[in-house]
Amino acid sequence: MTASDRPVEDGLDRAEDAPESRTARRMRMVDKYGVFAVVVLMMIVLTILAPDIFPTVQNLTNILRQIAMNALLALGLYIVIMTAGIDLSVGSIMALATMLLAMADTSGLIWPLALLVGPLIGIGCGLVNGFGVTVLRLPHPFIMTLGTLFTLRGVTNLVSNGRPVSGVSREVRFLGSGEIPVPFLGEFGSIPVSAVVLLVCYGGVGYFISKVSLGRHIVAVGGNPQAARVSGINVDRVLMITYALSGFFAGLAGLMLAGRTGAGFPNAGIGAELDAIAAVIIGGASFFGGRGTVYGVFAGVLVMGLLRNGLNLLDVSAFWQQTLIGMIVVGAVYVDVLRRKAGSNA
Amino acid sequence: MSDDSMGDARPTPLLEMRGITKRFGAVTALDHVDLLLYPGEVLGIVGDNGAGKSTLMKVLSGLHSASDGELHFDGRRVELHSPKDAQDIGIEMVYQDLSLAGNLPIHENIYLGREPGKKRIGFTIVDHKLSRKMAMEHLDRLHITVKSVDQKVEELSGGQQQAVAIARSTAFDARVVIMDEPTASLAIKEVGKVLDLIKRLRENGTSVILISHRMDDVFFVCDRIMALFHGRNFEESAIRETSRNEVIGWIMGTKGHTEALAHDRL
Amino acid sequence: MLRKQLLNIALASAVVVAGSSAALAQDKVALIMSDIGSANPFWAAVSKGATDKGAELGVDVAAVGPPGGETDVSGQIALVEDQVAKGVVGIAISPADTAALIPALEQARARGVAVLFVDKRADMPGTYIGTNNIPAATLGAQHICDNVPAGSDVAILQGIITGTTGQHRAQGAREGLEACGLNIVAEQPADWDTAKALSVTENILTANPNLAAIFASNDNMALGAVEAVRNARKLDDIFIVGFDGNPNAAEAILAGDMDASVAQRPYNMGQMGIENVLKLAAGDALPDDIDTGAVLVTSENAAEFK
Repeated sequence: MTASDRPVEDGLDRAEDAPESRTARRMRMVDKYGVFAVVVLMMIVLTILAPDIFPTVQNLTNILRQIAMNALLALGLYIVIMTAGIDLSVGSIMALATMLLAMADTSGLIWPLALLVGPLIGIGCGLVNGFGVTVLRLPHPFIMTLGTLFTLRGVTNLVSNGRPVSGVSREVRFLGSGEIPVPFLGEFGSIPVSAVVLLVCYGGVGYFISKVSLGRHIVAVGGNPQAARVSGINVDRVLMITYALSGFFAGLAGLMLAGRTGAGFPNAGIGAELDAIAAVIIGGASFFGGRGTVYGVFAGVLVMGLLRNGLNLLDVSAFWQQTLIGMIVVGAVYVDVLRRKAGSNA
Repeated sequence: MSDDSMGDARPTPLLEMRGITKRFGAVTALDHVDLLLYPGEVLGIVGDNGAGKSTLMKVLSGLHSASDGELHFDGRRVELHSPKDAQDIGIEMVYQDLSLAGNLPIHENIYLGREPGKKRIGFTIVDHKLSRKMAMEHLDRLHITVKSVDQKVEELSGGQQQAVAIARSTAFDARVVIMDEPTASLAIKEVGKVLDLIKRLRENGTSVILISHRMDDVFFVCDRIMALFHGRNFEESAIRETSRNEVIGWIMGTKGHTEALAHDRL
Repeated sequence: MLRKQLLNIALASAVVVAGSSAALAQDKVALIMSDIGSANPFWAAVSKGATDKGAELGVDVAAVGPPGGETDVSGQIALVEDQVAKGVVGIAISPADTAALIPALEQARARGVAVLFVDKRADMPGTYIGTNNIPAATLGAQHICDNVPAGSDVAILQGIITGTTGQHRAQGAREGLEACGLNIVAEQPADWDTAKALSVTENILTANPNLAAIFASNDNMALGAVEAVRNARKLDDIFIVGFDGNPNAAEAILAGDMDASVAQRPYNMGQMGIENVLKLAAGDALPDDIDTGAVLVTSENAAEFK
């Protein structure tokens, strides 16, 4: 006999056996599948509004190309937000990584090493953030990463003199701009290599968070750091690794961006951290930590990508993009609030 | 083992704390405190706020190190520098705030930090299936009923959360489980369940140290009782050789006839 | 070749029967700005010029800018890709970065979309439509010639002279002033900055008590020069010309502190951008640089620039 099918012995369990309230169940469904429904709905609406353009292979693969950067930044931020932290510096880390790898590549560093520059710079910057959060014990990660947001942007401008560096080699650009031809998809039928990179990264992080002990410890730290601590988990080590991972994905995004643009440029990623945070929140991760899935985050990235693409195709003013994204963020968080309320009433 | 199996012919103690002193700067929180704990025994520790109960337990669970004194466990002298050290020799603590991760399911809370699975380059690939199975078996052993081990802890009632915290403390052959006010925040109907659980631990041979303000609880489950007063040993006794009123007197720092006083308190 | 000619004819007839040609009415072109259009008066005017020209020629003009403003390079790249997917025949773009837009624009060209640059150019071949700073600065210099006696002492305040804009404006001014026989006594950089221009002008005034005119390569520096001249109590004696036609310069002109400024013609830029990208799409060869011209701002028309 197992714990789950043994008859109820006493009054202790009865509260749990009461049927879940209808609102609570509805909120749970919205919470779990809402963002996916939004993605599907947006695709249907865009297909109706722009039937000749939106559902074409060219346009759909364009969307994959366009979301790559935000998708990687959001993936790193997802891990940080899981611990109830925040990393505001990802846009600046990406800029520095793009710039330094472009400079390294164009000054003759062999490409297998040049490929490593971006991710390594990212990990380095992430460790600096982790140092501020754990060793310096700054009151909130917001402070430390706000600092590095400015500092790393400044360093990027210092090393580049504020000028772009073009001429990144074909090998280094492959991950960001390579295309895998798919003949049966027609004239513009190719899958961007960046989409494969996204698949690998999202799959990897999904596995890491759900199956690897360290990933579960990240979730536990986000749920209750005190519980993690008394369970023998080294919480500082977990946080250090968390910020290093966020930096790594920002550095990888930098590598993708250098591929896409063929250059390092000082204005790369200004404001990108806010897009990434928005995607994570739209995807259902909670700012309070410990809640959210990689699928949700990817759906959040898609919502933003589809919105931008759709409004571009329909020539809607950029002001509307900003307005709508803001409204979606507020809506997504409101769903989170409703879910919490329903959960505490149940 | 039944309630009254504790005869005069005592076995060797499982745990012995000798002359434990803990100073925080100029303040002496514990002053040469001694504590004996026998295998399969439930020891109640009582005392007023600030008497040193929690500090003593934090020393025992490795959160604080003692300024002076010795700790013997299973006949060997041991030194505890972290909760991990204490866990490694089988001393577990159930914290007053429970310290559970509400966003994780029951089975993961039970094995948090010690997940079952294959080791790969310093990480564990968690075997969730095994974790579920182990959790179910463990909860069964303790007669703890839950709807599913996949339920998130935050969805459980206070008593169920307490049960999970206790299950967690005993998941790895704990020899000593320390409980700090386990019934303080529970609904009355849930208290009995937790006390039953303490008795069940004793039946399984685990020693329990119970810190509690509730005389009903202490007299229902404890074999022996020990009172601290102002950071010192004050009095101790087998439970059947004392009374509530006497124990309440100890808490207030008086010995002997305290009937009137006790009635005021009750 | 034949096809190119046919396209030319088609385009020409479209211009003639403006708006009524059903065949070309569906042609789509894009003006991709480096800032959100109406957030910036300059781009608002470019955008208006482009859409007005589109209405005149009967083509569909999408005047768009990246949502993140002038630093949103990725947003601009996405705009290029999306406009190409939409099937535009031409893109007139002001690139947000000289290097980063190149792959996206090359890909657009590879897919048969005509691409040219408006106001700013990327480091790649292509027609540039914008203000040619040399003749524009000469226009300002000639206005000085018309207002001070020949042989007078004049000074030039330069912008940052490592950039081409700074070099070209200084060059155009020098050529214009020399051509009418004025005596350039000082030519000094003040880095586009009002405060620097103030101290540079103070030094020039000390060294050249008979100074009759100052050409400043932008309005910010001209306003710095105005303060220095005012402090020296010579506002009535020295003729000051700036560049850009900024609102605060226009006010200084109306107040009589400054005498003139040279303004770019953004509306014209938008019109010519659309007109020329359609020519390019039709297969015409275009020159590398097309000057959109400049206009002199004086007390007579300054009110339009406030």
